[in-house]
Amino acid sequence: MRWLRFGVFILIAAILQASVLAGLNIKPDLLLVLLVFFAVYCNTAEAIITSFAIGFVADIIGSAMGPYTVSFGLFGTLLAYLHRAVAIRKMPYQSAAIFITCLLAGTLAYLLTFLKGTSAVHSVHGAVIFWTSLYSAIVGPFLFLPSAWWMHINTHRFSHQ
Amino acid sequence: MARKQIKVSRRMLFTWFMLGGLILLFTPHSLTNKLQFGFARVFRWPLSFGRSISLAAHRQQPLTDKLTEAQYQNYIANLGEELRQEHQKVEKLSGLRNRRAFEGAKLVVADVITATVNDSKGELIINRGQDDGVARGQYVLGLNNVIGTISETGSRTAKVKLVTDPTSKIEIKIAESNIKRIMQGAGNNSAKILLLSKEHRVKTGDRVFACKKPGLLDGALIIGKVTGCKTDEEHPLLWDITVEPSCNTETLEDVAVVIMNPQQ
Repeated sequence: MRWLRFGVFILIAAILQASVLAGLNIKPDLLLVLLVFFAVYCNTAEAIITSFAIGFVADIIGSAMGPYTVSFGLFGTLLAYLHRAVAIRKMPYQSAAIFITCLLAGTLAYLLTFLKGTSAVHSVHGAVIFWTSLYSAIVGPFLFLPSAWWMHINTHRFSHQ
Repeated sequence: MARKQIKVSRRMLFTWFMLGGLILLFTPHSLTNKLQFGFARVFRWPLSFGRSISLAAHRQQPLTDKLTEAQYQNYIANLGEELRQEHQKVEKLSGLRNRRAFEGAKLVVADVITATVNDSKGELIINRGQDDGVARGQYVLGLNNVIGTISETGSRTAKVKLVTDPTSKIEIKIAESNIKRIMQGAGNNSAKILLLSKEHRVKTGDRVFACKKPGLLDGALIIGKVTGCKTDEEHPLLWDITVEPSCNTETLEDVAVVIMNPQQ
């Protein structure tokens, strides 16, 4: 794993998410797409580290510190372990993995943010999480190839850890 | 010399990181928000650049024309309300000394670093903070229109909670009927006026003003317009009133923080 490249990559994704995409009503969650990418294409130990690191960055550009670190870390790790049993290679499977992970991680992060007291219960949150999950699932698999190129990861070499 | 390889089991790795995450979660927000402000300050330039790209993509007609028009409309509305209040006070002949909204106030102009305006959140990060006299609760103006209040401050950055944020509650009055109520953000650049009985006459287009608040605002200032007024489906005796800000908060490039009675 090239950790310097990973750091730069996550930083660029966070800046894009917080600036260019922040102005859009319809937007995918770039950081979550990357979470699934690293959970699928890295070994389990690396996937755990990247999941927590991406969650930490998502918290920095979010409304409170902690909720995304916990939820991304938890679901990224679960996905990495799941990937040891079920290969997520084809695009439809990758889309499904992104959609489900985004729904679960988004819901848990929202509940934790509410627990921390920096968010109010609002009916629109459910819709926001659903649409973000859907758009992430549509866009996500297409971002895997450039991500693999940047990270020098061979997507054809695939082995179960 | 060969590097020493440290072996940590996956379970241990997960446990330690999860513990770190939980510590972060339960640490008071006033401490952890320094990380967020630090990020916004360090990456101010790329964040502003990214936002300007996003704004340029949305822009259909020259923004300056729109801004000037909105600015003048808000200015006229504020003057109109001020005049109305003055008339009321003259009528009362109270003899007390009155102050205009900005008399003795300092307006600190700040650039918007990031803006998040969607269904679940309405927030700006600006490049002014405690060092510039910015403090929690102060009102923030965009094009002479109250757009929100300061919710958190760092040394050189601050967060603005927009009036449309679902967690925002602000005292307002509807100009034409002079009724005071609480307005709560509803997300997606709109807000709702709560618990207003249908006995009061309210119509679409009525202007809504932020009420004056001692130490923070010395006069009523425009906050938006009523864009929807219908009977509340759950409580038929109440209005369901939707208010939208008089300016587009997503496209604002700079705002002004109202600091009453500055220290100098």
